[in-house]
Amino acid sequence: MKISLKWLKNYVDLDVSAEQLADDLPMIGLEVESVESTGLPQFENLVVGEILSREQHPDADRLGVCMVQVGEGEPQQIVCGASNYKVGDRVPVALPGCVLLGDFKIKASKLRGVPSNGMMCSAKELGMGDDHSGLLILEQRPEIGTPINDVFPGGDTVIELELTANRGDCLSHIGVAREIAALYAKELRLPKVKQHPGSGEGLISAVEVETPDCPLYTATSIKGVNIAPSPAWLQEALKSIGLRPINNVVDVTNYVLMETGQPLHAFDAQKIKGGKLVVRAATEGEPIVTLDEHKRKLTAGMMVIADAERPLVVAGVMGSLDAEVDNATTDIVLESAWFRPGSIRATSRALNLFSDSSHRFSRDVDPVGVDFAARRAIDLILQVAGGEVVGPCISVGQPPRGDRTITITPDYVRRVCGFEVEDAAIAGTFTRLGFTVDTSAYQWSVHVPSFRPEVDRPIDLVEEFIRLHGTPQIPEAPVKATGLTREDDALAVFNRRAVQKLAGENFAECSHYTLTDGTSLAKWFGPERADALRLDNPLTTEQSHLRPSLIPGLLDALRLNFNNGNHPARLCETGRVFRTVEGKLWELASVAFVIAVDDGRRRWRERPAPDFFTAKKLIGELASLAGIKPAKLAYELTGEDEPLWQVGHAAHAACWKKTGYKSFAGLISVDALKDWDLDTLVLAGELIILPEFLAKKSDKTVRLSPFSSFPPVTRDLALVVDAATTAESVRRDLLKAANKAVGGKFACEEVEAFDLYAGQGLPEGKKSLAFAIAFRAPDRTLTDKEVGTAFDALQEAMKAMGYTVRA
Amino acid sequence: MKEQLAAIVAEVEGAVPALDKRAAFEAFKATISGPNGKLTAAMKGMKDVPKEEKPAMGKLLNETKQQIEALYAETLARLEAAETAEKLGPPIDPTLPCPDTATGSLHPLTQTRRLIESVFRKVGFTVAEGPEVETEWYCFDALNTPEDHPARDAQDTLFLPEAAVVENVSKHGSERHILRSHTSTVQIRTMMKEQPPLRIISPGRVFRRDTTDATHSANFHQMEGLYVDKNVTVVDLKAILDYFVAEIFGKGSTVRLRPSFFPFTEPSFELDMKTPNLGKLSNQWIELGGCGMVDPNVFKSVGYDPEQWTGYAFGMGIERIAMIVHGIDDIRYFYQNDLRFLQQFA
Repeated sequence: MKISLKWLKNYVDLDVSAEQLADDLPMIGLEVESVESTGLPQFENLVVGEILSREQHPDADRLGVCMVQVGEGEPQQIVCGASNYKVGDRVPVALPGCVLLGDFKIKASKLRGVPSNGMMCSAKELGMGDDHSGLLILEQRPEIGTPINDVFPGGDTVIELELTANRGDCLSHIGVAREIAALYAKELRLPKVKQHPGSGEGLISAVEVETPDCPLYTATSIKGVNIAPSPAWLQEALKSIGLRPINNVVDVTNYVLMETGQPLHAFDAQKIKGGKLVVRAATEGEPIVTLDEHKRKLTAGMMVIADAERPLVVAGVMGSLDAEVDNATTDIVLESAWFRPGSIRATSRALNLFSDSSHRFSRDVDPVGVDFAARRAIDLILQVAGGEVVGPCISVGQPPRGDRTITITPDYVRRVCGFEVEDAAIAGTFTRLGFTVDTSAYQWSVHVPSFRPEVDRPIDLVEEFIRLHGTPQIPEAPVKATGLTREDDALAVFNRRAVQKLAGENFAECSHYTLTDGTSLAKWFGPERADALRLDNPLTTEQSHLRPSLIPGLLDALRLNFNNGNHPARLCETGRVFRTVEGKLWELASVAFVIAVDDGRRRWRERPAPDFFTAKKLIGELASLAGIKPAKLAYELTGEDEPLWQVGHAAHAACWKKTGYKSFAGLISVDALKDWDLDTLVLAGELIILPEFLAKKSDKTVRLSPFSSFPPVTRDLALVVDAATTAESVRRDLLKAANKAVGGKFACEEVEAFDLYAGQGLPEGKKSLAFAIAFRAPDRTLTDKEVGTAFDALQEAMKAMGYTVRA
Repeated sequence: MKEQLAAIVAEVEGAVPALDKRAAFEAFKATISGPNGKLTAAMKGMKDVPKEEKPAMGKLLNETKQQIEALYAETLARLEAAETAEKLGPPIDPTLPCPDTATGSLHPLTQTRRLIESVFRKVGFTVAEGPEVETEWYCFDALNTPEDHPARDAQDTLFLPEAAVVENVSKHGSERHILRSHTSTVQIRTMMKEQPPLRIISPGRVFRRDTTDATHSANFHQMEGLYVDKNVTVVDLKAILDYFVAEIFGKGSTVRLRPSFFPFTEPSFELDMKTPNLGKLSNQWIELGGCGMVDPNVFKSVGYDPEQWTGYAFGMGIERIAMIVHGIDDIRYFYQNDLRFLQQFA
């Protein structure tokens, strides 16, 4: 909302500078977007003077010492550095007390020892352009002593306010004037309006309201107007706030809109067919050409003002070309009405058509002001366009709300605020706002006028109080702090630990957008999964879907860092991802990392390259932070259905039903690397967890498991198996057989693969896996004999299961 | 005998300098001092020495033995030294660069988030998490922003398709899923789950249907704070913000509450901050976020009695604070992930 200070002064006396006002308004809740001044700012002690004489300064070649007549009384001596003037010229003279732009205060002083009682000014010093080459010579020779603002009238400052959604009342000059009056405790002056009892017949016979979205509609007929350009004052006022003058009648409606906040509409009476106006819901598909010359199709439920045949106005939003007031118009019907905010908002949004009217209606205009605005507009139309009011003002319905009374105690205000303040100070702020306060009882009655619809409850009055009382008055106090009442949520704790762990493993943490592009998503996660992640109203195609994984983002980061010559090696991220599991969409927590196997950096000493097991180890450690035992991760190779991962070189493990996780580790597929322009192999890992699972994690204390103080005995066993047989399946068989073989007399503590061999000496398609099997007893040192017996039994059992023991 | 012993010594003296492996040494040693070694044989020969020569021969034999043991010891020491030297390799040049170049680092947003979390934890606030996909009710209605409220504009909210259901994000009724536009939703979910008194902060990711530029981002992070207790006042709100700003921006920073409007707080304020030590941004008011006293309607929607419970809430942008603290002028840096940016603030 643009507010012209010149316009504003019609309603309130302003004796602060525009800068001060722009500083003060935000502190009562009216945010200032910009301040623009046109013409000459208001200057004190800056008058027209005539140069009577000029002498050379005794100590400075470039300075002159002038005697200047600045009004009645003695001429003033002023030292001046300009050279473009001559004796007899009239120039602007800033006298002591004047404050020029940039807070430059003029004082009586000495220049190089010669007293100077002011300053003669250039155009630039007055803010009238950039000419600083010499004094501004006033060629038209205004009267000596005239204030410079009288010589150059027309200056104005326009403040653009960015108003919050609750302050529809400030979308007008009177609304803002009311706030300023409250702020500086000034009087608010409203324009006087007349009654207009029309004579004879009106221009329309009736207004029919067929929709509940229009509780109040008024229409006044004015006959014989003379459409012409508006007078200068009206044009200037509109232009000052960025509106284009059109003709006197339309300009008046716009002026009153910006003055009172009440949107008005003037119909050309001769274009209203059937002699009546109908406020009704549009029919589906009903066409209208709005004033912006767009042909629009309305939908059922949008409200229109129609005549007997067609819609003339999208109610509260915009008129149509069909009923526009033009140069041939002589008779008009003036609408002033109140429409339901929700209805106007919905229509405006659906049509993507926003106007000064719809902006105000959707923020709830003052229904009691409907009549005032109509009368104000009629006064002005009669004044600037002539004509006469005919027929009665047609008024259908009642203001849907009026003033209200809120009961409040001053103690309540103090209780919410938490500081002491006197009753009178509280009541005073309400009074300044134009509310009426009855403080005769402990329970005050505060009467709030209809122009403040959002002040509805005692707490709203507290806000009004604190806003005007001033937030700098809130005293300082210590922070109320007692001990913790709860622990950080499990997900926050997990993320913190996971990132800390990875940072400790030399990963640089990244952060990528949650939204991603659907095409790439379909390629790497399948079209079906991608479709489940689609947004309904994305802004761009690059950000149209939710991400199912953090890895694509990390690959982006690898590419960017390679391109920028940063030799990226290890990157990680935590964040939310979205996945369909068993046909249902879930929001999941993820932690992921990527490792460039070759970061492209040359080294004076080589390091062993990371491999699948590097990733597996990290995922296991991350899983244990989530309460999942790494040993429980049952890995299987990923297949063709996971094109992001390299077949044969990546694995996944999941236990969705019980513990709500999925994990991946291994090489990114060569196809993906090509897509991402990456020259190196990339290892990656991702652990995806249902956040609810983290919260459910039991916090049972771990109790000590006793361990033996006697040494273990280890036997090695190599088995020849099919190349496709997994080490884990063999290990499990071995563990089972070993436990059986010891027969409870002692324990088989651990079975671990330590060697893998294929090639010479073994048949094609076979491999040899060697395991170390550790035995231990809790109470004694095992003898070779008893271990030997168990080991023999173990080998027999393995052979019985079909394994070949390698000699 | 004498000659024999002299020959053995000469052989040992001659052979040991050439021995460069422990195994070769042991093998050679066996040929001299082993059960079948030459020295062992010579010692066995003592029994054949005439009685009167025995003392002199015994002495000589002992001397020879000592001489040979000394040669062994010397050789062994030399071999061990060589082995150790081999194990150790050549001396290092400590000025060479470390070949392990990857360095771990926390994202600047994580660092800022942790800084804020620790400041609030000191005064009893803990972290609450909530879903990023939300529903209209949790994001708007429960926060006193009904359907026809102007503050609720579909223009900048991202919706999931009408039929979408996110299994672990509960709906209140049949409202639609959206991406949360603020972290205030966590207030609602936490209050519905837990009983007052309550002190939480909820840092998290939020979404706007905004075109990305230097100051706008399709997603960014906010940090919401909520305090619910009996007799919470505006003075308490101001006190926590004074404390927060002093902790983050240093003593000498001042806070200004500028009256404003949020549907879920009443009264509502914008939080401005001014500080003397912030480079170009020194000594001017900088907007940090919004705050206010929890609106009684919010308490009603979560089932708290507004007659009994009072509270304040505040929210601010984590990127914004990181940008102010570090002098970062473009929000897109946070999501580009150039290592030169990521590792600058470690």
